[in-house]
Amino acid sequence: MLAGGGQESPVRRRPSAEAPAARRRRLVHLTRPWLLLAPALAVLAGLLLYPIFQVGKISLQDWEVKFGGGVGEFTGFDHYTELLSSELLWKTVMPNTVFFAAACVGLTVLLGTLVALLLNRLGTTWRAICSVSILAAWAMPAVTGTYVWIWLFQPEEGMFSQLAGALGLIDPATTNWFTERLPFYAIATLNVVHHGFPFVAITVFAGLLTIPRELYEAGMIDGANAWQRFWKITVPTIRPVFLVVTILSTIWDFKVFTQIFVMPGGSGSNEEVYNLGVYSYIQAFGQDDYGAGSAAAVLLTLLLLLITVVYIRTLFRQGEEDL
Amino acid sequence: MKRRVIAAAIALTLGLTATACGGDSGDGDGNGNAADGKGKTLTVWIMEGTNPDARPFFKEAAAAFEKKTGAKIKVEYQQWATANRKFTTAIAGGADQVPDVAEVGTTWVPQFAEAEALVDVTEEVEKSGLTDDLVEGLKDAGTLDGKQYGMPWYAGVRSILYRKDIFEKHKIKPPTSWKELQDAAKVLKEKEPGLISFPVAGGAEMFAAPFIWGAGGELAKQDGGSWKSAINSPEAIKGIEFYTDLATKDKVSPAKVNTWTEKEVGDAWKKGQIAMSLSGNWTPKAFVDENPELEGKLGAVPIPGPDGGMSRSFLGGSYLSTFDTDKKELAWEFVKMLTTGEFAAKWAEQTNYFPGQNSELEKVAAKKDPLVEPFAQQMLEAGATVPKTESYGKIQAAQVVPGMIQSIITGKSSVKEAADKAAQQMDAIFAKDK
Amino acid sequence: MTARRSSPAARAGLVAAVVALLVFTLFPVYWMVSTALDPKASTRGSDVLPSGFGFEHFELVFERGNFGTFLLNSAYVGLGTILASAVLSLFAAVAVARFKFRFRTSVLIMVLIVQMVPLEALVIPLFLQMRDYELLNSLLGLTIVYIALSLPFAIWTLRGFVQAVPKEVEEAAYIDGASWFRMFRSVLLPLVAPGLVATSIFAFITAWNEFVFAYTFMKDSEKYTAAVGIYQFFGENSTAWGPVMASSTLVTLPVMIFFVLVHRRLGSGLAAGAVKG
Repeated sequence: MLAGGGQESPVRRRPSAEAPAARRRRLVHLTRPWLLLAPALAVLAGLLLYPIFQVGKISLQDWEVKFGGGVGEFTGFDHYTELLSSELLWKTVMPNTVFFAAACVGLTVLLGTLVALLLNRLGTTWRAICSVSILAAWAMPAVTGTYVWIWLFQPEEGMFSQLAGALGLIDPATTNWFTERLPFYAIATLNVVHHGFPFVAITVFAGLLTIPRELYEAGMIDGANAWQRFWKITVPTIRPVFLVVTILSTIWDFKVFTQIFVMPGGSGSNEEVYNLGVYSYIQAFGQDDYGAGSAAAVLLTLLLLLITVVYIRTLFRQGEEDL
Repeated sequence: MKRRVIAAAIALTLGLTATACGGDSGDGDGNGNAADGKGKTLTVWIMEGTNPDARPFFKEAAAAFEKKTGAKIKVEYQQWATANRKFTTAIAGGADQVPDVAEVGTTWVPQFAEAEALVDVTEEVEKSGLTDDLVEGLKDAGTLDGKQYGMPWYAGVRSILYRKDIFEKHKIKPPTSWKELQDAAKVLKEKEPGLISFPVAGGAEMFAAPFIWGAGGELAKQDGGSWKSAINSPEAIKGIEFYTDLATKDKVSPAKVNTWTEKEVGDAWKKGQIAMSLSGNWTPKAFVDENPELEGKLGAVPIPGPDGGMSRSFLGGSYLSTFDTDKKELAWEFVKMLTTGEFAAKWAEQTNYFPGQNSELEKVAAKKDPLVEPFAQQMLEAGATVPKTESYGKIQAAQVVPGMIQSIITGKSSVKEAADKAAQQMDAIFAKDK
Repeated sequence: MTARRSSPAARAGLVAAVVALLVFTLFPVYWMVSTALDPKASTRGSDVLPSGFGFEHFELVFERGNFGTFLLNSAYVGLGTILASAVLSLFAAVAVARFKFRFRTSVLIMVLIVQMVPLEALVIPLFLQMRDYELLNSLLGLTIVYIALSLPFAIWTLRGFVQAVPKEVEEAAYIDGASWFRMFRSVLLPLVAPGLVATSIFAFITAWNEFVFAYTFMKDSEKYTAAVGIYQFFGENSTAWGPVMASSTLVTLPVMIFFVLVHRRLGSGLAAGAVKG
């Protein structure tokens, strides 16, 4: 791999004279990446290293807020065992979280990619119109978006409820979509996908623009159809972009909180619809049990780390070497 | 640790100063050192939404306070939905982050007091001769282990609000017993199918509680030092059953109400969609303001007991509390100014809530307003508070009671199952705290 | 470059796709904007059209809601976040995409942890740390937090874009005698511009829409951002839907304006002929 632009000198005549230059080059090779990384890492570490460490520490304590700080009492792994032995967690919270996240990630990435391909095929004007409109969906605050969806699905009065009622699909007087798990999450999925796919679309579209047109032309000459060109040229070339949108969508969709919490019954009164975000908020932060809350946060982080590593290793068949 | 020693030292010094001042006595209100606030600014956090527009009120109050003490007032408005988080982080941040004075909901007082952020003002209240005038239930809510953490500022209570015009049209009498309530709701359902006869809102804890109390039950009971749930006692279950049967058997509350909170019930009132419901004393005026067509069409009665009398109803409200900052004496002066006399009366009038002092409350009751009097009666004769422990705040955060109601009215569990489960959840939270 | 060699069927499909896309994305947005303009917003039912048309909610949002100040604060924080995170992440992305070094994978994954930890758990620890840095109640402090929150995405995305640039292009620059930094400026930078646009939009939206830190860190309400401003209309007893939707519209608009300003850069990748460089 190209490193720092230094090209190996073709001839090595006198090693002793070359030594300082070579050493310098090696030094550059060794230090330049770290120098480039330094500012970003400094911000991240300076700001978040200690707080993240604190989260870990608090998860091993019974910790309460006191005036001017907090007081903790070491409890070992109690919060973890309590959390992991909760029936609610395994029966309701995890299935909800995992299936919901899987549906959202799948749909977000799929729809986002399709829209990116669509944008790529449009003329300048329509491309601009479409990009601006999907951006509006992204930029619209998540709370507001959630309320609009709630409004549309409101029992009896909501537009979709009336539509479904008029079509004879439901009896509006006795149907409340928010009290049942499946319709509840279907609405939440719609909301999250609506808010999330623009990110994928814009990022993938930006990725598509970096693919040299020559590659496609070569593909066409070889007689590849659009489907084949997509899988043989597009996907491999912008694989890192797919990797990043998938990983980030996964992380976000596992952590969805506002969009569930704001929905009717989502703030805790309906246990059936708990997801991990809401559960840890209600069980822990809502009740000032910061130890338990932090334990849930640590577990979620570890779970996401695991998923990320699995993604990187298997889904994209990239070893550490290529990453 | 060090901080606590310092705090204790400060407290001691202040105690001495206070006694010294008390020794002088005779000057009543006193323009003592405490009230000299020249060049100082008090930060005050007030909850948004109680007063349709609190800004003019606080402009006036700040001017009066500056004239009196020379100190300026800076008011920051907070939202109920998100304020708890802001308070919590600020308390963790310490004296520089908290406000000097803040409006604190009665159910939050135990939590903040437990965190050692609030100033115990028992002595100051006594010294000002206010102790006996405070509305008992409200004073209780902010008093822990005999220490009072602030001044009751205003209070509210829920009773039954109904559409007078519709009741008259169908010759229905305002209910005075549970049977009458049920019958009225059934008649309304039949005669006014376009309206919600009586919403059984799954997200509204304070709509369910009066029925539990009315049947002679309790949410939880204190036994010695520790609390234990009582929500699955036979009495409580009778109350829950009556309330939820209205939705499941009599069907006077449609499915859409199953997930409603008081907020949605209020919105439906404003749209003129409700015939009768539990509602706060602060709501009738707000409904009429939003929907002038309701003018003159609203009536109110206290929540009836099963066989007449009244069911108790939650008496909630706000405190004005001082935080443990270096301006706490000045802060107390401001609290005293707002919670007594002219400003207290004005606030109550603008917000349609009740003042926290008996003398002021009697003045309100004396006006004989038909949309105020039933609520005042409810508050004075049948007000109740939720269990007064930090743990109950957590039980509310976990939405134990709404969860129970919702699972019954959506047909997911029987009354007994749901109540047992709620009791179990409550006990788990009580157990965690002791 | 409109659809090449398109049959009528393909054209129709394209039109249908565009229409479906616009309806799906814009319908909720339309609902937001039309409610913001509806004088009787609070009693709006399922009607597609608002009951009237007026700007009173917007007036209220500016006059009582202090939105002018909030939007300025948001702009300050948003632009600061974009600039800083673009520079920092581009450097970092070049490091991880073009160099091989020990702990590279670890660094990449560690960076992501920032995104993984639920913010809820971080609020108090971060609040206390910011207090110790004396960065509470400061827009600069908030900007730094947002930079940290947008860096992981930016680094990962830009890494993809840097990797996608064929090494031959870079090598060509060296053969022409360019130094590394010259190559970076005149070859790499233009080629990853679309990625920079995508990451800036992301950074901007992160900074623009975040609520918890923006609310809890600021003791003075004059320092709130617009995202916090929206919440002032959610009352305990009722929600003022008109102002909520009006303020949400005001939060959405600048993001779109920003996008219109930068989106042309999206077209300036390799596809635009930079490959000849």
